[in-house]
Amino acid sequence: MSLGFAAEGLSKSFGALVVLNNVSLTIKPGETIGLLGPNGAGKTTLVNILTGYEQADLGSVTLDGQSFNTLPAHARAHNGLARTFQSGRLFSELTVAENIALGALSVGISSKVAEKRTAEILEILEISNLAENRANSISHGNARLVGLARAVVAEPKYLIMDEPAAGINEHETPTLLAALKTVSKTLGCGMLLVEHNVQLVLDFSSRIIVLATGNLIYDGKPEHALSDPAVKSAYLGEMSLNISNVSH
Amino acid sequence: MFTKSLVKGLTKFSFAELFIPLVVVASSSLWLSGRSTSLLLFIKFTLCYLMMVLSLQVFVGNSGVLSFGHGSFAMVGAFVSGLATAPLMIKQNAMALSNLWQPLVDFKLNLGMSLLASAFAGGVFAAFTGGFLMRLNGLAAGIATFALLGITYNILFNNNHVGPSNQALPGVSQFSNLTLPLVLVLLAMIMVYFYNLSRAGRTLRATREDNLASRGLGINIIRVRWMSFTFSGVLAGLAGAMYAHVGGAVQVQDYYLGFTFYTLAMLIVGGSASLWGAVLGTVVVSGVSQILLMWEQSSPVFGITIHLPIGTRAIVIAGMLVVILLWRPNGISNGSEIKLPNFLRKIKAS
Repeated sequence: MSLGFAAEGLSKSFGALVVLNNVSLTIKPGETIGLLGPNGAGKTTLVNILTGYEQADLGSVTLDGQSFNTLPAHARAHNGLARTFQSGRLFSELTVAENIALGALSVGISSKVAEKRTAEILEILEISNLAENRANSISHGNARLVGLARAVVAEPKYLIMDEPAAGINEHETPTLLAALKTVSKTLGCGMLLVEHNVQLVLDFSSRIIVLATGNLIYDGKPEHALSDPAVKSAYLGEMSLNISNVSH
Repeated sequence: MFTKSLVKGLTKFSFAELFIPLVVVASSSLWLSGRSTSLLLFIKFTLCYLMMVLSLQVFVGNSGVLSFGHGSFAMVGAFVSGLATAPLMIKQNAMALSNLWQPLVDFKLNLGMSLLASAFAGGVFAAFTGGFLMRLNGLAAGIATFALLGITYNILFNNNHVGPSNQALPGVSQFSNLTLPLVLVLLAMIMVYFYNLSRAGRTLRATREDNLASRGLGINIIRVRWMSFTFSGVLAGLAGAMYAHVGGAVQVQDYYLGFTFYTLAMLIVGGSASLWGAVLGTVVVSGVSQILLMWEQSSPVFGITIHLPIGTRAIVIAGMLVVILLWRPNGISNGSEIKLPNFLRKIKAS
């Protein structure tokens, strides 16, 4: 049985538009992978297929050898796959603590254990002071941390994060990076970080994958990603300046 | 559930949240019902409405899916309990029941058992229909529940093999006093409160907030909605039966559009997201409605007589609904359970 969360030969089209073309990737336990790509590269579609929100036209998804192809999103969560959302998607009328506890309750963890883990993750991410606040009353940066806490409170085997830095300012980014590293170190789950912020991805990930127009064009070490000709070409015109400014 | 909190902000048991609504309902029912026979009847009907509003709170309040179909379960509950307790002589001789299916003619239960049977029938009907309806979301779900109400009503209104069709079924056993309906409502309030605290209730509320995120967390939306729909069907069946045992008759029209609008208005005015909201809404709308009804009949209320035209009551309740939706969309309770007053909290903390 192969260990890891794996996608094999994923393809997806919307009408004549090919969004993903034969994309394969594997996240090993404890591994931190960054997924980069310009707008329209197919990143969100890939995340949605991996987490059961969309079906691929071709290809397979497995977790530790178990086929996920026909499993709906909620069943994937029960099998150890968690995700965060680009826009946060917190339960706005509920408190921060209730949001996080629901991450545990939803996969069948008892109320008592869910409460204990909620207290722990609030402490680990240093957001205990927000516990009683309604989710719609906290800042974007804190909302991202709460979304992260909610996703990991059930201690998933693998975590997929869809642009957690979207909408947060440059002062909040280091806090988010620290939180991601803390989660990785504390929980040891395999993590896929899908993100526009190249610096954040490079600082966090041990491996980089780059998508462009639905094709996987790079899979390797972070230090070589930016000098790769295919990556440079894909970003040329859109993010070349940003990439050349990244310090690594 | 009763242990000290490790973290603040979680949905936890609070004695005040449960005890205060129970005391409000019990004390006001007992006090008012002792003042006159007409007030006793008013309180009995209000308790029936409260049971129905509790049923709606369980499903509509927690899921955010509007249901117009709960009147169906009340109709079924009323028919089961009515047919079970109506005297054999009436079932054999009433013109409206001349084509009644023979097993229903022979169907006989005492009052307590008939209430249980009506709750069971409401639950089974909700479980069956919910298996289909809970796959729908938003507007489609609301319209489908409305269709369910229409289907059930038309079957019962036009079919004299299963009931009195468009006539009334008379002779249904009546509650001899306030005790049984009051105890049933208090028990239902306790069950609803603990349901709202349970994993099923909390995950259902998460689906109300964000359907997409809930799926990602592992919530099977259809399943949690179906469980809630079934439980609310049990309470609605019981509400329908109680209504029949207060009025002493069953008539399918009593559970149709007016009943649906009136009970939904109570839920929305009070606040659909809490037990306290259900209680407040029922008390306020019933109270206002009764006062206006008496003035429509030119009867004095607290010594004051105002001559109101017929129909004022319905217009005022509809107006209240609009005002609440515009200026306080979470209802009078603001979607929260009742809290102890500050000074009592300080005493408790010290």
